[in-house]
Amino acid sequence: MLEIRELTVYYGLHAAIRNVSLQVEPGEIVVVLGANGAGKSTLLRATMGMVRPASGHVLLDGLDLTSLVRRNLTHQIVEQGLILVPERGGTFTDLTVRENLLLGAFPRRARAKEKELLEFALSLFPRLKERWNQRVGTMSGGEQRMVAVARALLSAPRFLLLDEPTLGLAPVLAKQLLRVLPQIAAQGIGVLLVEQNAHLSLAVAQRGAVLSNGELVHASSAAELQDDPAVRAAYLGSQ
Amino acid sequence: MTSILDALVTGLVYGGIYALLALGLTLQYGVARILNLAYGDFLIAAAVFATLLYQRFQLSPLVSLLLLLPASFLIHLLVYHLVFVQLERRRGSWRAMEASSILLAFGLSFVVSGAMLAIFGGKLFSYSYLLVPVQLLGSVVPANRLLALVLALAFGGFAYLLLVRTRIGTAIRAIAVDPDGAPLAGIDVRRWAGLTFAFGGIICAASGVLISMFQTFNVPMGVTFTLKALVVVIMGGVGNAVGALVAGLILGVTESFVARFISPGLTLAAVYGLFVLAVLTMRTGIFGRALR
Ligand SMILES: Nc1ncnc2c1ncn2[C@@H]1O[C@H](COP(=O)(O)OP(=O)(O)OP(=O)(O)O)[C@@H](O)[C@H]1O
Ligand SMILES: [Mg+2]
Repeated sequence: MLEIRELTVYYGLHAAIRNVSLQVEPGEIVVVLGANGAGKSTLLRATMGMVRPASGHVLLDGLDLTSLVRRNLTHQIVEQGLILVPERGGTFTDLTVRENLLLGAFPRRARAKEKELLEFALSLFPRLKERWNQRVGTMSGGEQRMVAVARALLSAPRFLLLDEPTLGLAPVLAKQLLRVLPQIAAQGIGVLLVEQNAHLSLAVAQRGAVLSNGELVHASSAAELQDDPAVRAAYLGSQ
Repeated sequence: MTSILDALVTGLVYGGIYALLALGLTLQYGVARILNLAYGDFLIAAAVFATLLYQRFQLSPLVSLLLLLPASFLIHLLVYHLVFVQLERRRGSWRAMEASSILLAFGLSFVVSGAMLAIFGGKLFSYSYLLVPVQLLGSVVPANRLLALVLALAFGGFAYLLLVRTRIGTAIRAIAVDPDGAPLAGIDVRRWAGLTFAFGGIICAASGVLISMFQTFNVPMGVTFTLKALVVVIMGGVGNAVGALVAGLILGVTESFVARFISPGLTLAAVYGLFVLAVLTMRTGIFGRALR
């Protein structure tokens, strides 16, 4: 289980997230919805040790990762089985698809299972096989997201964190991309997704919550969230 | 006609070695983000040791390589962790370190060359190794130069293959193009930057030994080698191995033609000229892309 406990992050005097607690079980998909500036990226980046939290803990199957988080040892957190596909990023754009996936399996934990993981990732995104030697920077936005997710999978994660993977994608592509998440979760990988696209993400998630001004509110099942009038008003528009 | 051919062949021989020496500097700068202004002084140190080993113990420079390359690796690794990592700690971030690291490396250059000057002064070093003429492309070249060129190209080619063909080499290139994104691929940036800096140190020492095989040199020449390496790095593009090869050959041939047809006294001026041209016109190097 991935457990985020009362995480608080400040940028200067401004608290970007305050006392955020969240749990993800293996094989489960959890979505955190939030408007621009709500603190979604901060939550994920702090979990990976990419920004230093003022207080709070990150635990992975009971193992306390907080000291790694506080010392910015992101590569060691990856080695423990957490991985993040960052907002808009998560690829080396100057390198080819092949090289990106090769580096996905750079962590030691990934080596033993590299072949199966590569097969799995390519079964989710067969398109990447055709683009094998193409530089990622020259690919379309949707294809770049595929490379980023595939690269993350090759690290043999126990939990996969995704920061707005559908950002900037046409609705059809966004839907296609999110449709692979249940297949990933079926492998026993826990998925923590932050999104502004409530329709698409609640459709694939089991549980969800809303991040509002840095505080987590409305944590409940995805179905309940979909019916929650406040959530409907803020994230689901008039539909 | 033969003099043009001679100049060309000499230029290509020097050029191949310049390419190798620039490859070490470009790795240190592109990956560890340290513009190592002490590079030429470390190179001279390796050349001095190779000369002494030859003169005192009749040790072939090929054997010296086996001793000096690992030694240089260890020394550079130590320097990285004792000097530059400390600086990074003080500065708080690795970006803030870039400017101060230039000053530190400049200081390091004085320490290394100063120590050698105290011991050897400005005396000239040379030894005659494989001084037999060889026919090449209708020109005559001493065998030692030819061997140096062949070894330079072999070292350079080997380093290039490591960078392009292996997972670790790919990770090193990833650090060069996206140091902030590398940890998310599980890459320990500081560790691999240190090892790459030290690997650059191996190439630096190899260049020094190869140069000692055919060229007379003294301690104060360290700075000119730093300058030449810098010219090639900037012309070829930081972190670009193929660019370094082409730029190295251009520099070698230019030097050799200026020395032969204008005046030997103007070769350094020609190097400066290329340097200024490179800085003014080519922000990303001949091929416009880093690390391809
Ligand atoms: N490096 C930073 N320095 C200072 N303030 C920051 C920094 N990064 C984020 N912030 C601020 O923290 C708050 C939360 O930002 P964050 O990026 O986590 O939001 P988000 O929910 O991911 O937004 P978006 O949907 O636009 O990606 C915002 O007010 C933002 O301006
Ligand atoms: Mg964000």
